[in-house]
Amino acid sequence: MTEITIQLLGFIAATVLIVVGMGGMLFLDNLIKKVIAFTLLSDGVNLLLVALAYIEGGIVPILLPGMSISEFTSRAALVFPAGIVLTNIVIGVSTTAILVALVIMLYRRYGTLKASVILKGERR
Amino acid sequence: MMESISNLWSIPLLVIIPMLTAIIVNFLYDKAIKPISICSAIIILIISIISPYGYHWFTGHPAFNPDTLLFTFNPNIFGYRLSLEFIFGPLQHIMIVISSLILLFCVTLSTIGLTKRQGPYMALLYLLFMSSVIVIMVNDLYHLWIVVEIGSLIVVGVAAASGTSISHKAALKYAFFSAISGAGLAVSLALILGLTGFANISDAIIYLRQFGIGDMATVLYIAFGFFVLSWMYAGGLAPIHPLKSEVYGASYPHATVLLQVQSKLMLVAIGIIMLRLFSMLPFVKEVMIFLSVITMMIGVIMALIQVDFRWIIAYLIISHSGLVTLGIGLGTQEGLVGGIFQAVNDIIYMTILLLCCEALFYFGGKTSTKEAYGIAKKSPFITTAVILGAIAAAGIPPFNGFQSEIILIQACLKEGLPEIAVLILMVSVTTFIALLRGIYRIFLKPPELQDQDDSNVDLPKVLIIGIIIFIILSIIIGIYPDIVLRFIIPVVKEVLLI
Repeated sequence: MTEITIQLLGFIAATVLIVVGMGGMLFLDNLIKKVIAFTLLSDGVNLLLVALAYIEGGIVPILLPGMSISEFTSRAALVFPAGIVLTNIVIGVSTTAILVALVIMLYRRYGTLKASVILKGERR
Repeated sequence: MMESISNLWSIPLLVIIPMLTAIIVNFLYDKAIKPISICSAIIILIISIISPYGYHWFTGHPAFNPDTLLFTFNPNIFGYRLSLEFIFGPLQHIMIVISSLILLFCVTLSTIGLTKRQGPYMALLYLLFMSSVIVIMVNDLYHLWIVVEIGSLIVVGVAAASGTSISHKAALKYAFFSAISGAGLAVSLALILGLTGFANISDAIIYLRQFGIGDMATVLYIAFGFFVLSWMYAGGLAPIHPLKSEVYGASYPHATVLLQVQSKLMLVAIGIIMLRLFSMLPFVKEVMIFLSVITMMIGVIMALIQVDFRWIIAYLIISHSGLVTLGIGLGTQEGLVGGIFQAVNDIIYMTILLLCCEALFYFGGKTSTKEAYGIAKKSPFITTAVILGAIAAAGIPPFNGFQSEIILIQACLKEGLPEIAVLILMVSVTTFIALLRGIYRIFLKPPELQDQDDSNVDLPKVLIIGIIIFIILSIIIGIYPDIVLRFIIPVVKEVLLI
């Protein structure tokens, strides 16, 4: 039987967040709820990356005085996923800001947050 | 390639100059914006023309030859690069030179046409160009993901900038889907990173080839699925084409020129990466060809039923994106050459059509095909240009569209896919019909109301010069395709080797 590790739990939680986020974005009608669903999706991706880089008993990837190279390479956590998470947080904030700005503009124009009402009538 | 491990000077400049220009013009008002924007566009064009070929590493080094213990650029030698990497090779050269030329005309046109909020809008145009440049140069998954994400947000801004409710709705829909697609690409990056340990695309491919995927095939399938989603989204492929076509139709025509450039470059860049990364999976090419075929068909059918010239062009851009991806999806030398060549040609003739569409704004801004405006009488030049653009788009010799489409048809026949070759011909014919319908109503047919203003309109000189230059380019490439093919063929050979 598969051992339940922190990493596995991380993967499961990330999957749940991604699925809930995607579902919310696709199926919820309220635009603000869609934005909230996006933040869940973004957090899910971050958690996936964090879980990916997790090492049982790992250390921060800084070579401290007195530490051997072999000990460092065997225990140091991956740096790259941390960089990606940081970038994803920044992109997530930017995307949320743009989404909220567009939602505000459309709310002022239509007086509702319902996507079904705003998008009704469509183009011309 | 230049056998040097020094970072190439031009690569950071091609990224930083548009970025800096975007920051500066964002804070400027009125008259200061125009000279700075135009100078910046000229500098970018010059850099892209004179730049030698080479690499830029953010970390790491070029591939290391285990036999000679020397750095190497030979794609046949397996050696880990261990770096985030930008490449400026022949493909990037031709693509960026054409994009820079387009940027110059779009920027100049936008300074003439816009009066309010010019600074932020100009900044968006420069960032849009920057995202196009990065995506075609990138050779690592990290930058690919960032540029797709940022590029999408910029597209949202450009679409929303035209200020209509249609554009706001189009931008909102695009923004929501960009969030899903961007997150998908991040998951894909995470999975490939977890599978191989490398963010550099060449490293990841070498790892997958050397060690195989074994029990982890499912992970690669999921990564491929998310990649396909991003590809469809970035390029506006069916079945999510309405998102992109709405953005094209809702933006200003000169902005649509840059938007379609970005789409084409993303389609080529992501398509080639997919072909390289996932070619060991059994059905990759079939998925790519299937998506291309339905995009070609849906795009051209939708173009036929549109009643607005801008929307006709918007759907034709989508349809012709299918031609680009078809070539890449075939995965053969002829297919890849045809697909990339089609992207270059598509950018050129769609620019002609969109610039003609921009000219309509100077004749009152009406683009509906329900009425006749008699533009031919007011401006025979624009009418001639739009007809030539339509001929180029339909793939009629001696224009450039013919050369790439004939290569694609030959590639399909060689692969034993005559039905798709017939489909390409049908797309060409239908493109001409769709465009001719719009051209007849707007340009050729005399206006129904006799009291319409017949006075001559002075079109901006830059618009006229731009249209002339791109028509000349279209004819020259149509007669001498080797001008472009000599940039594409070496890259395709390299892609197929790895």
